[in-house]
Amino acid sequence: MTDGITLAALLDHPDWAEVELLAGPRRADPAIRGVLAVPDVLADPTGLAGQLLAVVLTAPRADWHLDALLHRADAGGAAAVLLPGTAPLQPASRELAERIGLPVLGAPDPLAAMLAATRLIHEPDRVVADLVTRTAATCADAGQGTDALVADLGRLWRRPVWLLDAAGQVVAGPDRAGPLPGNGDGPGDGTGGGLLERPLGARALGARLAAAVPPGVPGEVAAITAALGVAAESVGQRLAEQRLTVERDARLRMALLAEIAQSGGELSSGARRRAIDAGWQIEGWHVGIRIDVPGAVDPVAIRPEVLRAVATAHLRAVVVEQGSGWGAWSTFDHAPSPAQLQRHASAARRAQWLLRSSLPTSMGVGRAHHGVPGLIRTLSEAGDAARLATGRSTSGHYVHVDRMGLGQMLLAWTRTDTFLPAARSLLEPLHGQPGELLLTLTAFLDAESSLTETAAVLGVHRNTVAARISRVRELLAVDLADPDERLALHLACRSVVFHQ
Amino acid sequence: MSGRQRLGAADVDAFIVGLTLLGSGGGGEAEAYRHTLRAALGEGGIELGDPAEFGDAPVVAIGMLGGTRMLTEKLPGGQEIHRAVAALTRWTGVAPAAVMALEAAGLNGTLAAASAAQLGLPLLDADLMGRAMPRMDHTSRAVAGGPVTPFAMSEPSGQTLLVDAATPYGLERIARAFVAQSGGWAGTAMAPMPASEVVTDACLGSLGRALRLGRAHRELPSKSAPERVAAALGGQLLGVGRAADISRQPSTPFGRASITVLSGSDTGSDTRGGTRGGTGSGPVLRLEAENEYLLVLRDGVPVASCPDLICALDRRTATPIAVDSLRPGDDLIVVVLPGPPWWRASPERLRHVDPRAFGLGCDAVLLPEPSGAAQGLPA
Repeated sequence: MTDGITLAALLDHPDWAEVELLAGPRRADPAIRGVLAVPDVLADPTGLAGQLLAVVLTAPRADWHLDALLHRADAGGAAAVLLPGTAPLQPASRELAERIGLPVLGAPDPLAAMLAATRLIHEPDRVVADLVTRTAATCADAGQGTDALVADLGRLWRRPVWLLDAAGQVVAGPDRAGPLPGNGDGPGDGTGGGLLERPLGARALGARLAAAVPPGVPGEVAAITAALGVAAESVGQRLAEQRLTVERDARLRMALLAEIAQSGGELSSGARRRAIDAGWQIEGWHVGIRIDVPGAVDPVAIRPEVLRAVATAHLRAVVVEQGSGWGAWSTFDHAPSPAQLQRHASAARRAQWLLRSSLPTSMGVGRAHHGVPGLIRTLSEAGDAARLATGRSTSGHYVHVDRMGLGQMLLAWTRTDTFLPAARSLLEPLHGQPGELLLTLTAFLDAESSLTETAAVLGVHRNTVAARISRVRELLAVDLADPDERLALHLACRSVVFHQ
Repeated sequence: MSGRQRLGAADVDAFIVGLTLLGSGGGGEAEAYRHTLRAALGEGGIELGDPAEFGDAPVVAIGMLGGTRMLTEKLPGGQEIHRAVAALTRWTGVAPAAVMALEAAGLNGTLAAASAAQLGLPLLDADLMGRAMPRMDHTSRAVAGGPVTPFAMSEPSGQTLLVDAATPYGLERIARAFVAQSGGWAGTAMAPMPASEVVTDACLGSLGRALRLGRAHRELPSKSAPERVAAALGGQLLGVGRAADISRQPSTPFGRASITVLSGSDTGSDTRGGTRGGTGSGPVLRLEAENEYLLVLRDGVPVASCPDLICALDRRTATPIAVDSLRPGDDLIVVVLPGPPWWRASPERLRHVDPRAFGLGCDAVLLPEPSGAAQGLPA
């Protein structure tokens, strides 16, 4: 280690956190190639060139010998002088240090500071070994979760430590002010430093553990680089375990909800038991919420975000991954009052608004229903409403069943983008035919298949209506006596007419 | 000694300035006794006698002892030294044939001259310190091994004490205790010594030197260049600058002060700006002082010390400034004048008055041996 470590780098090192610059120019940044310890200010050591002269026992500030020592240190080419205690220098000594440009430092424990400097300069291997050992111990002992581990690593390394995702966003670790320094942003003096990164490997693609270490102390950079390797392995493993737990929990929840949905209201005792274990209240009044997202989004991975939004909106609800989204419900012990429902609806709307800022969600909210069958029903209503909400940008992709009535909702559903193409293709044969067949059919169905009524509405002869309806029957090849076909046709007519 | 000198009323101002320079920052404020001395000298003035011409005649060293500042609180009655001399005479049965100054600096030199005139006794051109020193065991008589007792002290209200058969250090302690318990200061008279021993055991020519220094100082025009001031006084310039800080610590019996003098730029006498380019300002002078200025460091290197005379002079008027009168912001010329030759004549003598004697842990840094009989003053 012939180049030594610059004074600024040493002062920046956590081991030197208590060392203060008492005097001497701030701009000077001499390289310290070694440490020379003397007991007091009377000492007259030799071989000072490039050394940190550490006075370890006493250095009374009033003693003029201090000035003489500064002079000797300067004449011998010492890099800096370290004194015991952080008491300020007398003006004479301070002025002298400024004049000769000799940094004078003070440390409450000069011996410790001196030993730390010696280790960093002469024994970087020991620094590496020490830190790696302690990092391994920390990884083994740290509390649950990656956040705790990252925080522990930060405390151990006494540097900011982050878990970054592939895009470089902070996943865990302290808030950072301003952009992180890119790798190699250091002054390029060959000592490395800056932002040290270590990919977590195949278990978390693109994610990496990063620590901001100022360049200048090669020992520390090497130690943290080595420790990052140990820690990244541990963080990666923890992430994998965490993911595994999350997946398992999600699968349990989804299976349980599916079982409830298929039970038709009669729950097996096993399912009841598992619901209680999961913390679900299945008795009482439920208000279902359905949150839909595009298929590309992984509901398991994003669930924490949904939970966060729900919690932020003060919406107390169970959230379960379900298909391409989440089913959720709030439970009330008694039939909720209109005011309660109002509050619940506002909270749900706020949660949707929060989610919408990062995810293309659409939310539907069902009505309050009682018991297990009620849960199934309100969730299904919410599902219908959510499908509607997908096409409703004006309402913030939020639809509440209570607000529209069931008939309205069904009707509205026929006007969605998914229904319209089906309706059009169903009525396609009537297109381009003479005699207002579509309008006549719509009026006929609206008038409960009464030819007289239809004729009155359209202002044509009854026989005209009869002739047109028979042509419709032929063109569409439908049996208007069949209730299913009638209903489908009626909805299709409404939808197409509405969109014309 | 280039012939005998007379001290007349017209010389009083110069004499006092010279004595203050010999005070090296101590010795007490003599200005207040200007008129006392002038009145005592009268028309004729007195002659500064050569001890060699007095054979074995008994000579008594007179002066005052105690806090010089106390004189402004406990005003002198004017009879303190007279009573001390009388007490000594009664005890020894030997009437002094001549007197000399205990300390040829500041207040003590002035009082000795005034008292000699009042007593009507010849005043020898000699003293026991050659400059200002803080303690009784710093007298040349004591260092030479001669007796310092019997020793008479009389304080302003008339209490008089005579100490006999004490060692110099014992006398110092008793004397301090006496002044501390009485008026704070006392007029003193020391055991008579034959004039022939004055020649060997005292600093000769001190009062004459004070007079010559004072006259040289008087000739200086206002705002003289610092180099010129130093040369006129026969000394060496140490630095010019402002007293940036005075840190006083009550760690020693008389209290220690560290004075930082910063010059705006290099004075030319020192061109070293530090090995790594520091602030580029002038050298940092540090003056260590107790009652007197004792040691000067320039950039951490001792450059002058007692027993040479370290003097802080006002930049504009070249007036000496005492240690206890120095204030931060004073613009100073710091010079060193050759100390009394008696002390540097042997290492044994020097040991008693070098920086180590004041607990400064540093060898004496003295000006080169003065050449000629002018004692460092230009002819």
